[in-house]
Amino acid sequence: MTNCQVADFYPIQKLVAVNNKQIAIAARGVKMVYQSGREIFHALKDINLNIHRGDIQLLMGPSGSGKTTLLSILAGILTPSGGRVNLLGEEITKMSDHQLSRFRLENIGLIFQSFNLFPALTALENVQLALKIKGIKGKKAKEQALSLLSQVGLADKTNLRPRNLSGGQKQRVAIARALTGSPQLIMADEPTAALDSRSGQRAIELLRRLAKEEGSTVLIVTHDPRIIDVSDRIVHLEDGMLLTSSSAIA
Amino acid sequence: MVSIARKNLFEDLPRFLVAQAGIMFAVSLVTIQTGILEGFTGSTTQLIDSTTADLWVADVEMVHLELTKSLLFRQVNIAQKVDGVQKAEPLIMGGGLWLTNIGQLTPLRTFGFDPEGELFRPQTTAGSLRDLKQPYTVMVDESKLNSLNVQIGGSAQIRSLPAKLVAITQNTQSIASSSVVFTSLENANAYIYSAFSSKLDCKLEEEGVNCTTIYEKSDKADSFELAENLETPEPLSSTDAIAYILIKAKPGQDLEVLKQKLEAALPGTRAYTTAQMSKKTKDFWKKRTGVGFILGLGATVGVIVGMVIVGQILYTSVSDHIKEFGTLKAMGAPDGVIYGAIVEQSLWMAILGYIPSMVLCLGLSYWALATEGVIILITPLSAVGIFAITVVMCVGAALFAIQKVTRVDPAIVFKA
Ligand SMILES: Nc1ncnc2c1ncn2[C@@H]1O[C@H](COP(=O)(O)OP(=O)(O)O)[C@@H](O)[C@H]1O
Ligand SMILES: [Mg+2]
Repeated sequence: MTNCQVADFYPIQKLVAVNNKQIAIAARGVKMVYQSGREIFHALKDINLNIHRGDIQLLMGPSGSGKTTLLSILAGILTPSGGRVNLLGEEITKMSDHQLSRFRLENIGLIFQSFNLFPALTALENVQLALKIKGIKGKKAKEQALSLLSQVGLADKTNLRPRNLSGGQKQRVAIARALTGSPQLIMADEPTAALDSRSGQRAIELLRRLAKEEGSTVLIVTHDPRIIDVSDRIVHLEDGMLLTSSSAIA
Repeated sequence: MVSIARKNLFEDLPRFLVAQAGIMFAVSLVTIQTGILEGFTGSTTQLIDSTTADLWVADVEMVHLELTKSLLFRQVNIAQKVDGVQKAEPLIMGGGLWLTNIGQLTPLRTFGFDPEGELFRPQTTAGSLRDLKQPYTVMVDESKLNSLNVQIGGSAQIRSLPAKLVAITQNTQSIASSSVVFTSLENANAYIYSAFSSKLDCKLEEEGVNCTTIYEKSDKADSFELAENLETPEPLSSTDAIAYILIKAKPGQDLEVLKQKLEAALPGTRAYTTAQMSKKTKDFWKKRTGVGFILGLGATVGVIVGMVIVGQILYTSVSDHIKEFGTLKAMGAPDGVIYGAIVEQSLWMAILGYIPSMVLCLGLSYWALATEGVIILITPLSAVGIFAITVVMCVGAALFAIQKVTRVDPAIVFKA
């Protein structure tokens, strides 16, 4: 059974509790058309997707299949050409830019393939900055940042800048940053692509553990097959279309 | 706590220094170009502005300070008697040629005044105005000591007459004119008219005999052979030529009324307030010669080039950090945080570019004045104005660059 089929019969609001399991992320008929000059490119074609609360959901697919595009839409960073997206019961495709921005700040932690840390800031400051924009400042921010960094195993690296950290350590700083403010949703785009397999695996296992502790829903976009083990569910994207939804841990 | 703006600035020190050098260059360009324009127009009138005269009486056809027809010395007496005039003093102005003792020629602008007068008293930095009472003594501007190749106590020649430097003044030299030489009325009369022979031309008119001195170029006009058997220059006679009559009004006089009285008493003249005289001269240089236009153009181009340079630097700087700003935006940071960081960064760049370039320009203007007599005028007002321009340039360019982050481009944020 695929989630997409279920989705077609139900209005989006009612889907929030299917099978007694709440749905954190729902996409309905999402389309994305890129236009460059005269050329039109259908990057996403009618995507329907449900992601359950507390799940570690993988979105896999070959390069160019539209994974980043879909993640951007689900995170409210990119407006789809058509369709609706519902996050935590709120329809974000109806929100204004300002509302969306606020929603992201309060509910979504983002993790990037190239970490996107601030090179001029230390590990501690990078995490503090995220807390600052969430309204947590001063001593409290420092305590929380230190605690998050020690949770990702970097208690002794807090004063190093990104350039003095290994790739795996950088991604762990990024995970700590994404966890600031305990967001209900965590979205990661190819988080292990820039890491060697050992540190990639370590980072993902860490992310899984912390997310499970917090009860966060995690969406990981990847084409790294080694992550499959840590996931609860997997969907495959090919040429802008979802293929199957399956439980990794059946 | 964390100021991304400042941390970003100093993160890459070489890049920061290169950017600051560019901003410094741009600010200096603006400062120097506008300073030259200000200095030039200011220098053409500083002699006028330094007098304590209320009014200047000149021939009706006067064009600017250094271009006028002559009045007669006896008209000073007439002016002095006009009701409301406290003091009337003559000012002689003419050309001249300076011959150093190593045989170099320099054109001169000679001013003759009463060294014991009250209205025309250039500041001395050496010697005193009184010393000019002695025959064949002169005072020059300190900025011209080099080009006139003379030192205090030293001597040279003005045409065929000796000239001994007994005093030095400052802030009198117009960039637009020949080297200025100051001396007493008698000496000036001798220097200016030594190349001419004079004859008296008198006509019998209704009011009486009306005489004019007519000057003709003498045979010795181009001679630089030092004159022998020098006579002491004679006091001015009533028919000798002068350029201006400087007037000090009695306290409480309405200057407009006094102007009319003077013009009535002295047909063929016009009276100007010192400010009008200054403006007339300034306007001549600004509007009737290409100099004002060229310097104005230079200043305008300086401001534009400065803006473009600073704009580019700020734009590049914001672009260099575009991924970081995009990431902040993707995380949901309020626009205020992002704009605040960019504006703070541009303000730092403006301040850190402005201060050293102002120091540099002040040094440069000091040096230019000391060595070349060229005034690059940086007034407190223009310093503040240039700071404002710098801030506007930096913040404006940054705000322009901010457009790049008003929408997050997933392609930038998620790029590998
Ligand atoms: N801004 C854009 N303009 C035009 N085409 C784009 C744009 N972004 C992505 N694409 C195209 O959409 C397709 C999907 O891209 P993307 O979502 O980045 O795929 P993936 O992350 O799976 O590699 C690609 O073919 C890509 O070239
Ligand atoms: Mg991608």
